[in-house]
Amino acid sequence: MFVAHFDIDAFYASVAIRDDPSLRGLPVAVAGSSRRAVVLTASYEARPFGVRSAVPLYRAREACPQLVVVPPDMPKYKAISREIFAIFRRRGHPVEGLSLDEAFIDLGEVAFESAREFAAAIRSEVLAETALTVSAGVASGKMVAKIASDACKPNGLLAIEPGREGAFLAPLPVGRLWGIGPKTQARLDAVGIATIGDVAALDEAEARGLFGSWGAQVRELALGIDRRRVESERETKSISTEETFEYDVSDDRKLLSVLREQARELSEKLEREHLCARSIGVKIKRRDFSTISRQTHLAEPTRDPRRIFAASRQCLRRATLAGEPVRLLGTRAAMFVEGDSVQPSLFDRVSDS
Amino acid sequence: MKVICSTKDIASAVGAASKVVNAHTTVPILSNVLLQAEDGKVSVRATDLELTLEQGFAAEVAEPGSVTVPAKLFSTYLANLAAGTMELSGTATRASVKCGKSNYDFHALPADEYPPLPAVARGSHFTINGKRLRDGIEATIFAASNEEARGAVLMGTLFEIDGTALTMVATDGYRLAKFQTTLEDGISGSERYIVPSRALSEAARNLSAGETIAVSALGPQSNQLQMTAGDAAITVRLVDGQYPNYQQVIPAKFDRSVKVNTSALIGCLRRAELVAGDRASMVKLAISGQTLVVTASSDVSGTAYEEIEVEQTGEDLTIAFNARYLVDILNHVKTPQTAIEFLGPLSPAAIRPAEPVEGGEQLYVLMPLRQ
Repeated sequence: MFVAHFDIDAFYASVAIRDDPSLRGLPVAVAGSSRRAVVLTASYEARPFGVRSAVPLYRAREACPQLVVVPPDMPKYKAISREIFAIFRRRGHPVEGLSLDEAFIDLGEVAFESAREFAAAIRSEVLAETALTVSAGVASGKMVAKIASDACKPNGLLAIEPGREGAFLAPLPVGRLWGIGPKTQARLDAVGIATIGDVAALDEAEARGLFGSWGAQVRELALGIDRRRVESERETKSISTEETFEYDVSDDRKLLSVLREQARELSEKLEREHLCARSIGVKIKRRDFSTISRQTHLAEPTRDPRRIFAASRQCLRRATLAGEPVRLLGTRAAMFVEGDSVQPSLFDRVSDS
Repeated sequence: MKVICSTKDIASAVGAASKVVNAHTTVPILSNVLLQAEDGKVSVRATDLELTLEQGFAAEVAEPGSVTVPAKLFSTYLANLAAGTMELSGTATRASVKCGKSNYDFHALPADEYPPLPAVARGSHFTINGKRLRDGIEATIFAASNEEARGAVLMGTLFEIDGTALTMVATDGYRLAKFQTTLEDGISGSERYIVPSRALSEAARNLSAGETIAVSALGPQSNQLQMTAGDAAITVRLVDGQYPNYQQVIPAKFDRSVKVNTSALIGCLRRAELVAGDRASMVKLAISGQTLVVTASSDVSGTAYEEIEVEQTGEDLTIAFNARYLVDILNHVKTPQTAIEFLGPLSPAAIRPAEPVEGGEQLYVLMPLRQ
């Protein structure tokens, strides 16, 4: 069985360059314009300067004064993402989308060569139809496929033959293993474990000693044994939108107007997905970064922006902020039912506001 | 204060009052109940500032006075006492119980800090038979909204009083319940009050159905309503707002109807709802040839088909409802037969007992689903 992992190269930046060829060859970063903006995507030309996603924009500009900053265009990225996912799904394989620009495809029980050919075909179709390059990794499991596509970026294809997974992983730093975060990595470093190969060389007892009950699994992963399935049609469990304010907000009217705008935005998202929500909630991050959330259940599922706003306003009131400054405010819709709301109100014009 | 009373009497009064206490209050004294002893009687009071419940019982008052104790703690303690007699004495800081061979001291708060009852400037006043009020409450408040986000008005029940006629209406916007009855003593002229439905459920629980219930508007703007019967009183802040024009959603005439066995229809709907899935619990009612066919289906669970004989008047019809809403309504129809009237598949349907019911007239209106 083979899994392919596809990842569009520097997605937002590549789209910007594609649509404005004068940017070609320049260090480009896609980022918002607020005081707290971070780089969303950097072109490969910008990366040697340390400009990569999640780096604060001001720091990126310091590191790379000639950096060209382009504002993001989410609707455009979403539209392109839909096109690309349509190509991923074209041959009927299960597709697990991880984000707008990244997906696993389950290729099933096929020969190694056909798995590689499949990935190559998808790459050339994406390039032909969207003028974007996508890197692909092919392997017997999800983790190795993803690490392979990372390893051959940009515009590459790397297929790991069955049986070669362990050898491919062995020289890589142990932090590339799924589930090994910076903390664990530091701990492993202290006992002289630096590469995935070092983990693979542990015996079971040693692995248990280091990773506890996860020991056996971590060791298997290090050997390239990965039993996780591609989960297609990952169900949408919630839809949310949030705003981090440039300056903390304590004015109730301002907060309410943000909620009203978010309700409108959620309503449009729900409309696009043909969903109605039974649960509406708000998320509030205070100045000290502590987060509160409140939610409320609706008697009837809705995507009506007025009902969403009425519910989020109620949640905000229940959070009893009493003028405390807010750093971030978000609205979330969950508990979906598919389709349109089918229960009309008795008082459609009188009270349903 | 010092009283000697029956453990059962005090447990039931404190238990009832403590239900009103808001468990999440941040004002310490609002977690407490107030006990006031005077003239051979103890009155127990609890409030969340919107709703106040007073419940009295007879006791031997050795020393008049008052005390406030944490509601949950004290009511749980009392509920665990064996039947018998106890002595309760109270100061500003302590409530002491002697019962048999046990002695308890509870921390108290000064009784004079307890929120006072609203000013007793009385407005309109009427009386109603306790059973009628309870029937009206049971018949209507289930249809009120539970959703705070939709506002306090729809969470309330409308009382419309005109002379000796009382109309109670509750609606959440999807279904509407209406109950009409007559008062014992009416008012001159007419009044409209929106009463929080939770106050009415407390009234149904605590005001004896065997007695006459006196209802008065309180406060200079009549913004509170008090219901009293015997030793119990409920005072509630009325909802300030405009009740939707409910008359406008009750169709003036219908062009077809069925009479159906109430419990048979409830059974069909409950079974069919099981396969209807979570999408609005949609069931379809097809009426044709003196037969009502109930169907439902979902991709997840399968399909349902049920047939019941009905007495049909007028043309055939297929209409869809949220099964839960229809069952809720039918559960409040106490007659063996229910009359359902329609005006096409997209207009509100009217549901009522097929035979007149002693004490009050019920009407339900339910908005059908889009099919």
